[in-house]
This record gives sequence, C-alpha cells and structure tokens, in this order.
Amino acid sequence: MSIAHYCIFITTIVFYFLSSVWSVGALIKPKRFGLLATNRFMFTGFIIHTFYLIFFCIKDKGLPVTNIFESVIFLIWCIILIFVVVDFLYKLKAVLAFLMPFVTIFSICSILFIGNDLALSGDLQKFWLVAHIIPTFLGYASFGIAFIASIMYITVQRQLRTNFTGTLLTRLPSLEGLDSLIWRTLTFGFPLITLGLVLGFVWIRFSNILGSNWLLDHKVMLGIAAWLVYAALLHLRMIASFHGTKIAVLTIVGFCLILFTFIGTFFFGATHGFRDKASNGQMEEVIILNEEIN
Amino acid sequence: MNLLVVGLNHKSAPVEIREKLAFNKSSVPIALSQFSRRFPSAEVVILSTCNRVEIYVAEPENCVIDEDVYDFLAVFHGLEKSSFVDYWYYYSGGDAVNHLFQVTSSLDSMVLGESQIISQVKEAYTTAKEEECTDKVLNQLFQQSLAVAKSIHTNSTICQGKVSVSSVAVEFAKRIFQEFSDKVVFIIGAGEMCELVVKSLCAEGINAVMVTNRSYENAEALASEYGGKAIKYDLLNEYLPKADIVISSTSAPHFVISPENIVDGIKARRGNPMFLIDIAVPRDIDPAVGKMSNVYLYNIDDLNSVVSKNVGERENEIEECKVLIENEVNRFISWLEEIKIAPVVAQLRRHFHCIGEEELLRLKPKLTNIDPKDWDQVVYAMERTINKILHQPAKVGKQEAKNGSGHKYIEVIRKLFGIKGVEV
Repeated sequence: MSIAHYCIFITTIVFYFLSSVWSVGALIKPKRFGLLATNRFMFTGFIIHTFYLIFFCIKDKGLPVTNIFESVIFLIWCIILIFVVVDFLYKLKAVLAFLMPFVTIFSICSILFIGNDLALSGDLQKFWLVAHIIPTFLGYASFGIAFIASIMYITVQRQLRTNFTGTLLTRLPSLEGLDSLIWRTLTFGFPLITLGLVLGFVWIRFSNILGSNWLLDHKVMLGIAAWLVYAALLHLRMIASFHGTKIAVLTIVGFCLILFTFIGTFFFGATHGFRDKASNGQMEEVIILNEEIN
Repeated sequence: MNLLVVGLNHKSAPVEIREKLAFNKSSVPIALSQFSRRFPSAEVVILSTCNRVEIYVAEPENCVIDEDVYDFLAVFHGLEKSSFVDYWYYYSGGDAVNHLFQVTSSLDSMVLGESQIISQVKEAYTTAKEEECTDKVLNQLFQQSLAVAKSIHTNSTICQGKVSVSSVAVEFAKRIFQEFSDKVVFIIGAGEMCELVVKSLCAEGINAVMVTNRSYENAEALASEYGGKAIKYDLLNEYLPKADIVISSTSAPHFVISPENIVDGIKARRGNPMFLIDIAVPRDIDPAVGKMSNVYLYNIDDLNSVVSKNVGERENEIEECKVLIENEVNRFISWLEEIKIAPVVAQLRRHFHCIGEEELLRLKPKLTNIDPKDWDQVVYAMERTINKILHQPAKVGKQEAKNGSGHKYIEVIRKLFGIKGVEV
C-alpha cells in the first residue's frame, strides 16, 4: 500500500476524529461546539471514505472486500451510511457523540489490518460474493447503530438513576426514543443478515469455498450464534413484548458477537474464504494448470 | 434630551400596591393618550405586567421630571401620591436604558431568564407606537432592547434549565418518554402541586388522566377538569400498572406504594418504563420502588435539587449578560448623543451659510459686469469653502458625542461662534 493510500485514509480518520471531538463537545459544551461543524467533519470524512472505497472497487473490479482491511473499512462505511439514513428519518444528532468515537477507534484499529496477508480467494464468484456480502454488511451496520443506541440507552438510564442533575441528560434522546431506534435498526438489520446467511449457505452448497467441513468454520458457527442471539432478541420483543434494559443489553452482547465473528475469528485461524497471498498464488497456478489440461 | 423611567416591581412594592397601580390592556391606550396630551413633546411607553408597572419617558425639552409622572399616576388611578410614592424607583439617562435592557432580558424578573417578559415589552411598545406616543428615541430604545433580549436568550444559558418543580417533572418525563399522547397519568391525591404537574404534562399532549383520592369527590373534581377518570382509592393497586406516569401527593403518614404492590404491575409492563413522582412529605412511595428495573422514581428533594442547580446556572450567567447589556447601553447612549449633536451641526452650517450669503450680497453690487456663469462659480466656491471648513468640526462633533462628551462640544461651538438657542 502506497504512502498516498495511507494519507487518504489517515485524512478520513482525522475528519472522523474531529467529528468525534465536536459531537462529544456539543453534548458537554454546546455553546462552544456546534453541531453544524460536527456534521461537516463527518460528511467530509464520509465523502473521502467513499472515494477511497470507489478506488478499491475499480482496482478490485468488484466490492472492496478482497482483504481484511478493505472489509473492515467497507463495514465502517456501511455503518455511517446507515446512520445518515437514520438521522435523515429520525433527526437524532446526539447519536453522533457515541457513534463517531466508535467509528474513529474502529478506523484506527483497521490500520492494523493493512499488512495482513489474508486475501480473498481468486476463485470466488462475483455474483455470490455481492449477494452474500451486501446484505450481510448492511445488516451488521444496522446492528452497529442498534449497538450505539443501546449504549446510549444504558447511559441515559444510568444518568436518570444516579446523576439526574447532570446537564448531559437534557441533550440525549429519551429512553423511549432510543428504544424505538434500537427496535427499528434491529428489524431492518435482521432480515438483511438472514438473507446474507441464507445466500452464504446456498453459495457454499454450490461451490466448495469453505471445504467439506464448512459448518465447522469459526465464522459460520459464530455467525449462526449471533443470528440466534438476534432472533431471540426479536422474539423477546415481538412475542414477549420486552422493552428497555434487557433489549439494550442483549443488543450490545449481540453486536460484540458480530464484531468477534467479523474480525476476531481471523485471530483464531479461521479464514472464511480468505487465504494467504502465497497460497492464493498456488491456487491460481492450479486453476491455470487445470485449464491447460482440459 | 431627557430619558427617564419611573416604576415599581415585585422587589420594590407588595402586590397590594402593584395591583392598585397596574394598567389593564384597555386602560393603557387611555393612559398613553392622556399623558401625551399633558406632555405633548414627550414620548411615552407604559409597561404593565403582574410583576411591574413602569413608565418610560423621552422628552427633548427637559420639562418632565419624575414628580410629574407620580402626579399623572395619582390622578389617573385616583390615589393619594403619598400612598405609593415610597415604592417607586426612578432612573434616568444611561441607567434608564440599562434598566430596560435588564427588564427585557429578564435579568430583573421574578423567575430569572423567563421569556414571557419579551412579549410583554413588545406588546407595551407596540401599543404605544399605535397610539403614536413613540418617536425616534423610544423607537430606537425599545427595538434595541428587544434585540438585546433576543441575543441574550440565544447566546447565553440564562433561559435554559427548568426552574419550577412542575416543569422539572415534565423535563424528567421527556427524558423517559418520547410521545405523550399515548401515555396514561395516574394522580394519587388531588393536591395543588399534583395539579400543577398534570397541567404541565397535559400541555405536552397527555390525554388519559386517572385520579384517585381518599375523598372520591375531590378525585372526580380534578378528573373532570382534565377530562380524566376518577378511581376509587381501594382500587389503586389494580390501576397502577396501567399508568406510565404516577404523581403521588397524599397526606398519608405511611408509604402508599411499596415494591410488593407494584412488582406484578411492573412485570406486566414488560420493560416499558414507569415514571413516578413523589411530591408528598412524608413520602408516599417506598424508595425501594425506585431500585426496580425500568422504574424511575423522584421525590420532592430530587426535583428541588434540579431546580436549585438550574437557578444556580442561570445566576452564573448574570455577570456575562450584564457585560453584554453594558456594551449595548453604551451603543445606545452614543446614538443618543449623536442625534443631540445633529441639530447643533445643522445650526452651525446654517450660521456659516448665512455669513457666506451676507458676504455674497455685499459683493454682488460691486461686480456689476460679471458674467452670470462666473457668478455661479463664485457662489459654488463659497459653498465648497464653507463645507470644507465645517467637515472637520462635524466629524469631531460625532466623535465627541460617541465618547460621551457631546455637551462640551456643544458648549464650545456655542461660545466660539456665538450660536444661540442650542440645547446643552
């Protein structure tokens, strides 16, 4: 990765960081930190981020998920995209104060993956990749917003119980508003992630990308576990009509599981379609050899 | 130019005096026209609210003093001057301007930072303007005072944070609930404080009100006022889970709501938050209730602590607001001095032009053969010379007026050029 690439991504992070500072500042000292500046920083970062991803799309001739770094920054982009939609619909600017620090830290952490050798196997078919990745990532991003809203819910709840004279309380959305945001993002994300999983299973059945023991793939197992957590959560809300703290806590647990499924599994040896660049090279050679024999 | 304010407010006079001297909506125009008839050269605005009665006068001939205003009030209200004169305050010049700016910005209000006073000042000014009782000075003064108040309310936190128990209770409710139209309020004990809180909640859009009280008649009376439903006191526990907001203010010596009689109800609410306000002393709701999941309980001390904190925060802003007001007062005084200087400068110009014209009249018979075009050139040169000479004195005059020493300038001009009839 060239220095220019680094600089572009660092610029994005700088804008996300400025947006974090301003959004948190707007909660604590609204006279000094304006929400307008927060928005401008966020959008500037988001636009640079978008162009950066477009560059990768052109380079990869497809989705920017050919290595772990690209996947992570694509997920961050999806999270901000979902927030922009949520903010447009429900006008919840205070979410930025919790979302942007998370996005900034996540973006900084993504730099760790720049030198990662794992890259997407060359034999992945583009249609199935797009069909699996897009709903899954948008689902993850929705759960990300639900996670942020849940953290806000717990914060507001704690403030209401222990520090109700604090000025911060007056600048955060109501518990009911946050509960409703959690619910809306969960119900948006769940069908998407279900679709992503189903298409992933169909893809596995058609191809042999995860080998014969695909069910033992860490990411597949944890993906199913996360799906079950969210299914239980929606069940609690829809059938048992649960609201409030329990839903918020479960949403946080669910998203931690999602994050672990998304990144953590790679640290435990799972590859989930990604291989070392070296073995990718060998694979391509085998493919070329097979074609020559045929 | 004489600018003065004579008035009384909640600090200087008790309500018994204020109510005797207050003007109602219909009597303000009558008072204004009577005042204008008595002092034709004066501009006047009457500000009368439940907390203050103030009369603002701007008058160019210095013939209206505070005693005249007292006399006018005594005649208008049919009172003895001695019965109220001790309660009045009087400010003139910059102090009067400062007072109005503080009043409009609600620094002088009973509840610091309340915004109602802005509309009251605006109404008082509009009424006076419609009655043609205001002119250049009071128009500028009141327009600037409204602009200052708006700026202070926008840029400072003086009007932020609720400062009454009922509004703080509503503020808490807003932190818990987003929509009020589908919420149910349950009032236990039909006290005055409960009523205040319900009134504020109804203003937020609450439709369903349930009231219970030991005296069923009182419960019915309060319920009917808000289109609610009266509940028999024995059925309290049965109806409790249906409520989203509970306001309790009974005189019971023991807890009316304890965890035991609410636990099933809370479970039945499936995690939907419940907001309880206990404004009774001794308390009606066991503090253990507040520790239950998704239950938010506040007692009168909790609400008062928020009120005190908000009042403290508003008070912290006062000094900053006073600095802003002081700057605006200086700006107004400069403007006032400038308009005082303007007639003097005009008179000075007239004086010089008169001298010039006299000289031209003296010269013309001596230049009998002069071409009319050439004569025009001579007249033009004379006017240009006078204007050039007067440019610097006029500029200095404005500058001196801005610095507050316009009167010295007028004095000097009068002495130097022998101009008569200029007000100092």
